[in-house]
Amino acid sequence: MRFFSNDDDRKPGKFAFFRAGLSPSAAQKPILVFEDVFKFFQRDQPTLRGVNLTIERGEFVFVTGPSGSGKSTLLQLIYRKQTVDEGRILFCGKDVARLTPDSIPHLRRNLGIVFQDFKVVPHWTVFENVAVALEILAMPRRLVRSRVAEALERVGLEGRGEHVTGTLSGGEQQRVAVARAIVTEPALLLADEPTGNLDPHLALDILTLFEEIHETGTTVLFATHDHTLLEQRPHRIVYIDGGRVRDARAGLRDLGGTQLPAAEAPRAGSRSEERPSNVVHLASRPARAL
Amino acid sequence: MKLSTAIARAARSMREEARLHLVAISSLTIAFLGLGLTLLVSVNLDRIADAWADSARISVFLRDGASRTDVEQLRMALEGLPEVASVEHVSASAAREAFLAAGPSEGDALASIPADAFPASLEIALAPGVTSERSAAIGARVAEFAAVDEVETYQSWFAELDLVLGAGRGFVLVLGLLVLLAVFFVVGNTIRLAVAGRRQEIEVMKLCGADDGFVRGPFLVEGAVQGFAAAFLAVLLLTAGFVAIRAELDGTLGALAGIRTAFLSPPLSLALLAAGTLAGVAGSALSLRRYLVV
Repeated sequence: MRFFSNDDDRKPGKFAFFRAGLSPSAAQKPILVFEDVFKFFQRDQPTLRGVNLTIERGEFVFVTGPSGSGKSTLLQLIYRKQTVDEGRILFCGKDVARLTPDSIPHLRRNLGIVFQDFKVVPHWTVFENVAVALEILAMPRRLVRSRVAEALERVGLEGRGEHVTGTLSGGEQQRVAVARAIVTEPALLLADEPTGNLDPHLALDILTLFEEIHETGTTVLFATHDHTLLEQRPHRIVYIDGGRVRDARAGLRDLGGTQLPAAEAPRAGSRSEERPSNVVHLASRPARAL
Repeated sequence: MKLSTAIARAARSMREEARLHLVAISSLTIAFLGLGLTLLVSVNLDRIADAWADSARISVFLRDGASRTDVEQLRMALEGLPEVASVEHVSASAAREAFLAAGPSEGDALASIPADAFPASLEIALAPGVTSERSAAIGARVAEFAAVDEVETYQSWFAELDLVLGAGRGFVLVLGLLVLLAVFFVVGNTIRLAVAGRRQEIEVMKLCGADDGFVRGPFLVEGAVQGFAAAFLAVLLLTAGFVAIRAELDGTLGALAGIRTAFLSPPLSLALLAAGTLAGVAGSALSLRRYLVV
């Protein structure tokens, strides 16, 4: 894992914990810890209630649950689009809830974030969409070119740098977003329903891409309500419902009996129909409260 | 953010939204043209005031029958003062001739006025830089001489001129403030429109870890370019207009006030350009604040 920093980061002080070369003790700590986290959007009705969760370095974790269950909120608390109301979230051992507004950009430079709606700029070229993450780090132009080319190659878009992003297919645009997220080699990759706007075979392609990135050592938090994907891959699952979290370290088997909303049943014609025999489709099981 | 990156991003967005920026620059140019024109008038009013201040004079009207000796004594006393540049004795007949020469050529009626209807006088030209207070003091002292009937220091006339110039300067100040407000308003609205069209870009940059400076940079460059371009165009148009009508203006002002017209000095022109640039930057910065929270 490599952390990038700009000139400000090299100065000692408030952003030092995000710099390259974490201390040995910091490197041994879990990359992400939620401690009794509450988030309220309505009084007396918390979206997240007492979430306790630990993500170790190098893990690939699915975050799932019904629509509106708080998956996106959970991720937004990490990159400080939302703030915690109670409890704390430790990223590399530091409480992100206590960061000053000036420190938030430095937090985000150490995260890669991929969204359901891609969040690419359609009139920019593919190169520009990816390069922006490095320009923010004030990286030299030559290095930006080589790093962007490398990232585009990793997501299968080599030679497409000069294409206008808006002319690409949805799957390709999401690959651009993934390239932008990984080009800085972040400590943690957050994916907020990255396959939500893609058809099933593209969704699986994107998941595979994330797994390839994970294999290089990047920690991945992948939010999805698509159980087809969960069934395809035996990764740890964090299931959120009613603001509470259930941690299934062994994947779906740990969530046995959990009733899934009908809308989240596998899509017709999706690859889930070819799921491995050792994966149990939860929707077919009797309902049981978590 | 590196300045080169900010400039490159600003250049691209100005190309992409060229019409929007051209409209903004045109509006700002008109505002700066108004300010530049008023400054030009002010500069030339100051020149008139300076020219008249440099030619300040006192007219000492002598009593009928004042003795030659008394007049000579007075003249010698005046010439001994450091503030007095020259003293000229104008006899009654010389005054009559001067009046007839300067007046309308209606001949007979005026020509029949007798010479003794015009008082003899001493016309005192003061040295440059003599204050109106000192001029008044000299006038008061001269009035005590027995040969003197009346002293005219033209103080009330200069007071009125000062009033006019003061009003002119006040007008320039008010207009300047109005132009600054217009610049804030136009640049602010242009940038707001540009921001509205680029909210997605801003969101992407903020989510990638851009700080406010990185996001703000290109917009500040755009504001600066708009302000500078508008002020530059205004100075250019003003120069062209001034050159076109200068000969005519010089003829009129030369006859009225004895001066040649002057254009805005280079420092003043540069100040106008700097003011345009800074106002553009400030207008841009103010309009951006609420769009930076992502």
